[in-house]
Amino acid sequence: MENESITAEIRQFVRKQFNVPETDADFNDDVHLFDYGYVDSFGAVTLTTFVEEKFGIKVSQTDMIAHPLNTIREIATFASQRQKGEI
Amino acid sequence: MVKITIPITGIDRDYLAQLEYALTFASEDVTSCHVDPESLTVEAEIKSEAARESATRKITELIERYSKREFGSLQGVHFKQERTFPVIDAWAELLERKWVTPIGEGHVILRGPAAQLMSLIDKKVETMFAAPFQAELEIYPSTIKAETLDRCNHFTSFPEHIDFVSHLKSDVEVLNQFANECKEKGWASERHENRMGKTEFAISPSCCYHCYEGMEGWNLEATGRCTTMILSCHRYEGARHKSLSRLRSFTMREVVFIGQPKYVIQARAKAEEMIIQWAKDWELSCAFETANDMFFTQDFAVKASFQRLQQAKRELLLDLPSEKTRLAVFSSNFHAMTFGKAFNITVAGRPATTGCIAWGLERWVYAIFCQFGLEPSKWPEKLRAEFENHVKAQHPVS
Repeated sequence: MENESITAEIRQFVRKQFNVPETDADFNDDVHLFDYGYVDSFGAVTLTTFVEEKFGIKVSQTDMIAHPLNTIREIATFASQRQKGEI
Repeated sequence: MVKITIPITGIDRDYLAQLEYALTFASEDVTSCHVDPESLTVEAEIKSEAARESATRKITELIERYSKREFGSLQGVHFKQERTFPVIDAWAELLERKWVTPIGEGHVILRGPAAQLMSLIDKKVETMFAAPFQAELEIYPSTIKAETLDRCNHFTSFPEHIDFVSHLKSDVEVLNQFANECKEKGWASERHENRMGKTEFAISPSCCYHCYEGMEGWNLEATGRCTTMILSCHRYEGARHKSLSRLRSFTMREVVFIGQPKYVIQARAKAEEMIIQWAKDWELSCAFETANDMFFTQDFAVKASFQRLQQAKRELLLDLPSEKTRLAVFSSNFHAMTFGKAFNITVAGRPATTGCIAWGLERWVYAIFCQFGLEPSKWPEKLRAEFENHVKAQHPVS
């Protein structure tokens, strides 16, 4: 999948799963999902599971520490690169 | 007594101390419990052979709990300053000089230079942190509604250390019986059995919960608000109450940030620079590190590792040379919108973000005495000067 479509899938999932209103002006692909309170620790588990299942990749504990995975764009970029075997 | 030995597998060495803490609460059948880092075993003593199966099962559950982590175990040393010291038994000297008097498990009285040093540390927080952040002083009761702790999710993270408070039932017969039994036989905890009223309050386990409940429904117009408070807090630590390093009743000073994420994140970062400067000025042997709370509940793996991954908690750890260990004396915490959502505190139309920085004052006192001894004249220059000036200000010569 292309990075942009992965980004759109994750954006849609986060909006729906974590009840982000369409009117939320702070929400965008580069907002820190955790610092800005969109996703908490248990939400992070849900989001990780979604990314693994939806894009057919594995996200290890080492990946989480080695790669910044705090924004929709960062997560999408990681998923795209992992799909392509680049990381 | 019956001894049991249980192997530890799959736990990072960094988590062994947390496991040992948690084992205190494994079972009342366990009379003592120790983690041996060399053999990687838990050595426990239990009351009887009959308790072997259940004690082993409960200890094993805790070992498994602390071996799991959902998001890895991020380690981070943000500052380190090492010094070597002559090893002294500061605790014995504090008792000998009557600068500290224990008055019950985890309860102490501080006096003389110990009390003055604690007063200095608190004053330094006020001038070095509260003032520049324009923190508003708030004064809180020592107890807190159990309902508030529930809303703060405290019970689902730290149920083991709550000191609940209650009172005798409002019933003249109950009160008469209690008073008469105490008159005849003296007080004993059994006198309370079946005579207590509802438990609606606990002694506050930390300062800042009152801050959030006190701001319920507030809509902040500015980007953020800063408050400061000092409170006598309680945490029951099982059999681990020790010296001034692990008290059941201790004093906490906090500075709390409530506002937009950017405000809280920037304030926290500034405060962390300042605490490192403080450690440099006083030449403390210490490290400032990524940390996690000692979540006791079954979801430890998610909460603790996420907290580390997000750098939501960092601690200043002071070396205790005589005990060959370190003591957390300061923490910097980021809560995202947990409390903003729980108490409907908003800023610019969104739930407020919160963060806090906290000092455990008795721990500071203890670690300083452990590192530098009990003679202020031998302390590092800036610490000594600040201490002497503080004492003079308290007792000016007329």
